[in-house]
Amino acid sequence: MRKRTILHCDLNCFFASVEMLYNPELRNIPMAVAGDPENRHGIILAKNVLAKKKGIKTAESINEALRKCPELLIRKPDYNSYQYFSELVRNLYYEFTDRVEPFGMDECWLDITESISYFGSVQNIVDQLLYRIRNEIGLTLSIGIADNKIYAKLGSDLATEDSFRYINSLEEIRHMPADALLNVGYHTYETLKTFGIYTIGDIADKPAAYLNEILGKYGNTLYCYANGNDLGYVGKIDDEHEEIKSISNSMTSVRDLYNIDDFKIILTVLCDSVSTRLREHGLYYRTIHLIVRNNKLEVRTMQTSLKENSDLGKDIFDNAVMLFERNCDFSIPYRSIGVAVSKLSSKKDICQTSLFEKETYSLKQKKQEVALEQIRKRFGVNSISSLRVLEDSDLSHFTPKEEKEYYSFHNGR
Amino acid sequence: MIRKYVDVICLNDKGGNMKPLYLIWDDARKVPIKKVKEICPRASLKVGGSGLRYTCVFEPNRVRHLYFDRGKWYVEMNDHVV
Repeated sequence: MRKRTILHCDLNCFFASVEMLYNPELRNIPMAVAGDPENRHGIILAKNVLAKKKGIKTAESINEALRKCPELLIRKPDYNSYQYFSELVRNLYYEFTDRVEPFGMDECWLDITESISYFGSVQNIVDQLLYRIRNEIGLTLSIGIADNKIYAKLGSDLATEDSFRYINSLEEIRHMPADALLNVGYHTYETLKTFGIYTIGDIADKPAAYLNEILGKYGNTLYCYANGNDLGYVGKIDDEHEEIKSISNSMTSVRDLYNIDDFKIILTVLCDSVSTRLREHGLYYRTIHLIVRNNKLEVRTMQTSLKENSDLGKDIFDNAVMLFERNCDFSIPYRSIGVAVSKLSSKKDICQTSLFEKETYSLKQKKQEVALEQIRKRFGVNSISSLRVLEDSDLSHFTPKEEKEYYSFHNGR
Repeated sequence: MIRKYVDVICLNDKGGNMKPLYLIWDDARKVPIKKVKEICPRASLKVGGSGLRYTCVFEPNRVRHLYFDRGKWYVEMNDHVV
């Protein structure tokens, strides 16, 4: 196979950079962008270089950050601006190649294999990218260059601000901790450590079968990642629209949830949002996932599948409540809930129609949900809602779409 | 230096291009723009912000940058002038 050239472009401290772009005076003081503590989103989302020097880390709480650096300036996030700059940068990438795969708001993979002959050399492309992003948009990039997506990402982690780094072999990244590798999170890293695997080099040296024993089928993937044998394809323009694998919404509530009524209030809003988005894409789901996190930050994920696929919010709601009642109780209060649907298909199953209640029920339910959506489209999201939602407007007063953007960025980190 | 937002009178032509004609100052003074020399996407590193930079020639032959950023116009200005 022909050797590919893949760039991983990572915008340096993206949220903080956008803030500093419009307020240059912030460049000279330690500054961080953090969520709203009143809504319990009070974690650091991004920080500038001066704050980094003081030991501020992404995802730590505002209080913890202020303890380390009392003079730290905290700014609220402006997601519209971040979205705007993210698109601006992405459009600039498209001038170099049509194979651009976004990974969160601030990261992208670019497959430039076919563009090299047009632009002359890889170095030319990289220099132009750095120059244009810096001068035309006012942000800075770190670029990792390799023949696969995984090494390219590690390259951008190693590169300093506004620079690039080639990764040609395993030896250059051997010393990096195992959790720097894509998809190795806290739990996987802890498991690996118990088997004496600390670095990427350690993973690469172990036989794939051994990793399979420790991590299940994921071990094989990890072995390929560490050895640079990843054949992952860099998506093309609009690929993401063609292939939606799951749709989800989650929400951290303004206060802890102590009973099933509280739980149902939030769940209603989430299910409405997920089913609306499903219908926007013309999709049907089969599997429903419920993700709950208690106030000790322990996460629990549950899932169930339907016999036939559906696009109804009511089905998501009923099944999520069923999953919750079967598996959880309120001995520890909950702080966030997420609902996801997967196994999506664009067609409703062709199946034997039920003679009696089910068919009329689902048709009636769908008509009702579509009518609600149309009213919301014309008169606003809060123009009509179920009585349950009105019981506690503090809990239900949120717009899942904005939350979705917030979470998708963080999952991308 | 500071970012000073200003009112601008523009000509939007049939081809979809936008050409600034007059800059209106705070005291309602209308300053004609003689010529637009260059239009390019640029970040303003002095005062912050990023958008389309119009390099304009004002009377009498004074060249200034006028930035168009998400629907708003601004100029770079020394703060002691304000």
